[in-house]
Amino acid sequence: MKKIHLTAEQKYNLEGYKFVLPWLIGFIFFFAYPFFSSLILSFGKVIDVANFEIKSVGWQNYIKAFVVDVDFTPKFLETVRNTLIDTPIIIIYSLFIAILLNKDLKGKGFFRIVFFLPVLLGTGLVMKQLLGTQLDKELLQAVTGRAETSDTQVMAGAISTPELFTTYLSPDVAKVVQNIFNRLSFILWMSGIQILIFMGALQGVPIELYESAHCDGASSWEMFWKITLPMITPSILLNVIYTLIDSFTNVDNKVMEYTIKVAFTNMEFGYGAALGWIFFMFIGIVIGLVFLILGRFVVYLGDR
Amino acid sequence: MNVENTQIEMTKRERTAPLDANFFKKRMSQIVVKALVYILLIEFMFVFLFPFLYMFTNSLKGPLHLADISSKWIVRNPQWDNYREAMDKMSYWRGLKNNLIVVLSSALGQILSCSFIAYGLARFDFPGRNLIFALVLFSLIIPPQVLVIPLYIQYSNLGMLDTFWPIILPTYFGMGLKGGLFIFIFRQFFRSLPRELEEAARIDGAGTFRTYISIVLPLARSPILVTAILSIVWHWNDSFQPSVYLMVPERSLLSMSLNLLMTDVKNVYESASGMIVSPLGMAGAILIILPLFIMYIFLQNKFTQGIERTGLAN
Repeated sequence: MKKIHLTAEQKYNLEGYKFVLPWLIGFIFFFAYPFFSSLILSFGKVIDVANFEIKSVGWQNYIKAFVVDVDFTPKFLETVRNTLIDTPIIIIYSLFIAILLNKDLKGKGFFRIVFFLPVLLGTGLVMKQLLGTQLDKELLQAVTGRAETSDTQVMAGAISTPELFTTYLSPDVAKVVQNIFNRLSFILWMSGIQILIFMGALQGVPIELYESAHCDGASSWEMFWKITLPMITPSILLNVIYTLIDSFTNVDNKVMEYTIKVAFTNMEFGYGAALGWIFFMFIGIVIGLVFLILGRFVVYLGDR
Repeated sequence: MNVENTQIEMTKRERTAPLDANFFKKRMSQIVVKALVYILLIEFMFVFLFPFLYMFTNSLKGPLHLADISSKWIVRNPQWDNYREAMDKMSYWRGLKNNLIVVLSSALGQILSCSFIAYGLARFDFPGRNLIFALVLFSLIIPPQVLVIPLYIQYSNLGMLDTFWPIILPTYFGMGLKGGLFIFIFRQFFRSLPRELEEAARIDGAGTFRTYISIVLPLARSPILVTAILSIVWHWNDSFQPSVYLMVPERSLLSMSLNLLMTDVKNVYESASGMIVSPLGMAGAILIILPLFIMYIFLQNKFTQGIERTGLAN
């Protein structure tokens, strides 16, 4: 066998494998293996849990999700709708706040503390508790003693200011306004990290660009559209992807909740895996589209 | 900040020129804009502070207070006992201990493994490097729902269910909760670091591993801080993994014991305005976020600086 001669530089570079070795091990056991077995699982049914014996059932699980199971489709559509509505709002809102926080203001430190609070608490059951989604219908009946409970009560979370609305508006209007308000404040709570990323990006825009534009008589409005926005396109892309990823484990994600229930309460592993894959397909398509559409507008400084 | 500074400079320059109506107009509009900015910020701030105020006042109410429509925000003789009761009912200290074990060991795991792996990806140009980095990013966009079922079966065969291992173990291999994101943060930071120090160490005969431990890692203070805080916060709030892997009460985390409080009918009341309120649940929620909040107050300055320095944005 012919001996391969390596230069010192090549030998040095091969040491990189030493560093990524832990990742490779982790990737195989905690990612690649579960990834492919869940794909197989989604087309089958577990007969023997201990030995992971699977009987293939073809597309049955997927068909069941959309045709047989009356619970899944509405939950899936709701999640799809929420994701598609929330993401642009989060992006625009967090960019807006980042621009405001980036100005020279008195009490900037204090504002920052408050606006990053959602980073701490924007997830988790505490949040869910605030939104009041924790309260299920049975519990409400036990408390109020009424069989019919209105949406207003289910939405009894702290984040809304329902009392104001219900006092001054007619019940129907109040309900609509309240729903919007509930969602909106929930959305605002999801945007902590995005604000941070935008703030970093805004500070990275070279000041010379603004100076020369100012000399040329550009207004702040023009400068925003012609300088700021193109310069921060990479972080807009990053933020869109991050927001989408963040929504997977969101407490508001009904599909996630339902998947856990199907898999671990009803012990239908195959069906649960199929539900996971349906959701993944949806997210994959959205991320693909985002890259296709936003990718065109992204400006990298290195390109010039 | 930048824009503002230049504008101030410009106005200074203009001051030397004869004052005209245009100047006053500009000045006025600047003041108006500034006032608007403050109003907007305070407005939005309310959205974030309101829940805390609401939680706090309601956590101090008893059934009698809730029935009294006249006391919404200010509570007469607050029921501090609610906190003691919430602590008892959710076995707060046990939950806190479990939380600390899980959160601190996972954060440590992610700091050690993600920085190590990221260094390999940032500094060595070995075949397959780009593929690995692409896979790191790919692992980020896979919803955990897809992986959880085979992982559950895997852990159950290993006898690891109802232990903390399913949550902690992956963090030591660069996986775990959003592990890919931390690899990404560290890689960005290492790439921005000048190579001179490492090359000097290499010439002096230090191995790559030693160079990493004694030279590179001490320089990476800001990404370590960012990773530590984000990892602690996300693990603290995570309800997905515990709800799948931890079922016995001895192992339950704080977030799960909140569920017990919320679904306990005896502690949930209908207030005079028709809202369903659980004062104990509110007290419990405050108790859960209190440790995080204290940590945040102490570290927030370093945290925001760290984010800016790690170049998360680029």
